[in-house]
Amino acid sequence: MLAVLGVAVASAMLLDMVMLASGMRESFRELLMSRGFEIRLAPKGTLPFDTDASIADVAAVTATLRTNPDIEAISPVMGASIHVPVGGRNASSATLGIDPAVQGDYELIAGEDVNRPDALVANDYLIDQLRAKVGDTLDVATGYDAQTRGYTGQRKLVLSGRVRFIYGATQQPASAMRRETLESMVEPERRNRASLFMVRIRKGADAEQVRGWIAAELPNVTAISIATAIAQVDQRLSYFRQLAFILGAVSLFVGFLLVTTLVTVSVNERAGEIAVMRAIGVSRAHVVQQIVLEGVAISSAGALAGLALGLVTARYLNTILSAFPGLPMAIDFFLFQPRAAWSALGLLVLSGIAAGIYPAWRASSLPIAESLRREAIA
Amino acid sequence: MIQLLAALGTVLLLQDPVPLTLTQPRTIAIDEAFAEAAGLRVGDALTLSAKPGSEQSQGESVVVGAIFERSADPSEIARGDFKARLHLDQLQRISGYGDRVDRFAIATKPAADIGRVIERVNRQAFGFKAYRSRDIAVETSRTFLVVSRFHRAIGVITIVASSVFLLCIMVLKVEERRRDIAALRLMGISRASVIQSIVIEAGLVAVLGSLLGVVIGWLVSMFVNYHYQALYQTPLAFSILTVPIVVFAVSLSLVLGIAAGLAASWRLVRTPPLTLFGR
Repeated sequence: MLAVLGVAVASAMLLDMVMLASGMRESFRELLMSRGFEIRLAPKGTLPFDTDASIADVAAVTATLRTNPDIEAISPVMGASIHVPVGGRNASSATLGIDPAVQGDYELIAGEDVNRPDALVANDYLIDQLRAKVGDTLDVATGYDAQTRGYTGQRKLVLSGRVRFIYGATQQPASAMRRETLESMVEPERRNRASLFMVRIRKGADAEQVRGWIAAELPNVTAISIATAIAQVDQRLSYFRQLAFILGAVSLFVGFLLVTTLVTVSVNERAGEIAVMRAIGVSRAHVVQQIVLEGVAISSAGALAGLALGLVTARYLNTILSAFPGLPMAIDFFLFQPRAAWSALGLLVLSGIAAGIYPAWRASSLPIAESLRREAIA
Repeated sequence: MIQLLAALGTVLLLQDPVPLTLTQPRTIAIDEAFAEAAGLRVGDALTLSAKPGSEQSQGESVVVGAIFERSADPSEIARGDFKARLHLDQLQRISGYGDRVDRFAIATKPAADIGRVIERVNRQAFGFKAYRSRDIAVETSRTFLVVSRFHRAIGVITIVASSVFLLCIMVLKVEERRRDIAALRLMGISRASVIQSIVIEAGLVAVLGSLLGVVIGWLVSMFVNYHYQALYQTPLAFSILTVPIVVFAVSLSLVLGIAAGLAASWRLVRTPPLTLFGR
């Protein structure tokens, strides 16, 4: 029982590390693909919303993009902050200026989208802070100037809907309005600029080819395909993949060592019995088979128990890592992928086979007479 | 913002060095990563612009005056940004930022009461707020608090796993010697003596094992620092082995070893000696 528990713990650790190694990448890929936009344009040298930089001349950029027949939809997004007075203080949130016809940033949960110029949608965190409900009219200001303690733009907007922001971080209040509405409120120098463009390409088009075309036509932007975005995230989070690989390898090795030790001790204990079996005519192959099967049985039982334990610990560890500031809620570090998980557990079972080989060989090579004499004396 | 602009400002690298004009261009400093990636050396002439895709004629000529080592700033890890330092007025002009800065860094005299200074500044402030550098560091270190918690959780899981393995192995090893122990018991050796000897053995193994583990941990820590400092091109220490950590690890190992020895031996001494002999 203890042996199976030991193998189960090693198996759980191995499963968790396999989930960690590929989880982030796959989770991020699913997130990026969720709305069908394969390419994102950010200001040159930056990642989307990484800095305050923005792309100038939205109209010209959009017109250039439209000349490529492989581009199906273009969604310029403008980022800013808004402030709404609530009971003597201001509730602030990040806000996106979008085109509701092609936006890919949120899902509508209740109410209406920003179909009117004076409409605003918000997530539950912001709605709770505002103590508002759908249909309420809010005094919204943007462009806060710390020097003058004033705002560049203020207007009344109607909270038209509740939304869930796909790329929103945990407990981050956020809102969205029509881009032209936000443009009318910000400083003049920020108008006709976008923080990000999201580009959807037609089915069958080569995303890398389109990305290369955009990079050549628009030198003031960085074009990021899903593949390049994942590569950049991989680079930033490479530490976790390396940790996963190292801890996974150690878990596999420890599991192997444990099974080898268990089976070896078991063989030593039963040297007399094995000698008797050999003496009555049981073949070497049969003895080896028995012992290897013992190792496989311990590994398999441990692997199955480890599967359940691993899922529980993965959930706990994922909760810890999900607290990264600014990380989209939808990202999971530990993602269960059946194929990878079964491969890992299969590897553990194979290591159980390998672990049984040495003790099995020792057992089958025991000198029969010598072993029987030793057992008789003992 | 200015620092970011400095990092993000497009540098049009010249294929051939531009001969210095009569109007001496100003110098800039770039970080090691930038120098290595762009193949730059001290004395190289560059054209600097804040607008990506600018023509060479639209930029400002500068000379690389220095190459600096990046600071050990955790928030810069894995960002892959390059850094450049310019004269403030030059960057303000190139970026169009005007007579503005993102922050002031203030060094106080050794005897100064920092709290009072902050209070005075904030009382008179118009459009800015003063903070202790330490408080800013804590706020920007939230990412690493998450990583620390994760490491601690992995550590706890590893300790639990190690305890299970240790108990497993101890039970097996003690079981192997059950006939010897049965003989000792029949000779009159007390339960307490048997338990004591097994616990001492387990404790010794635990201490020796943990000391070996400390050496391995120290070597691995050195390798981790070497690897990640090279990977992220930073002087930041990623792994630090301190005396309290060593003391804690060895103590915990000793406690777990003794506990495993106790559990294994207790199980054995409860069984009658003749039963241990298999009779």
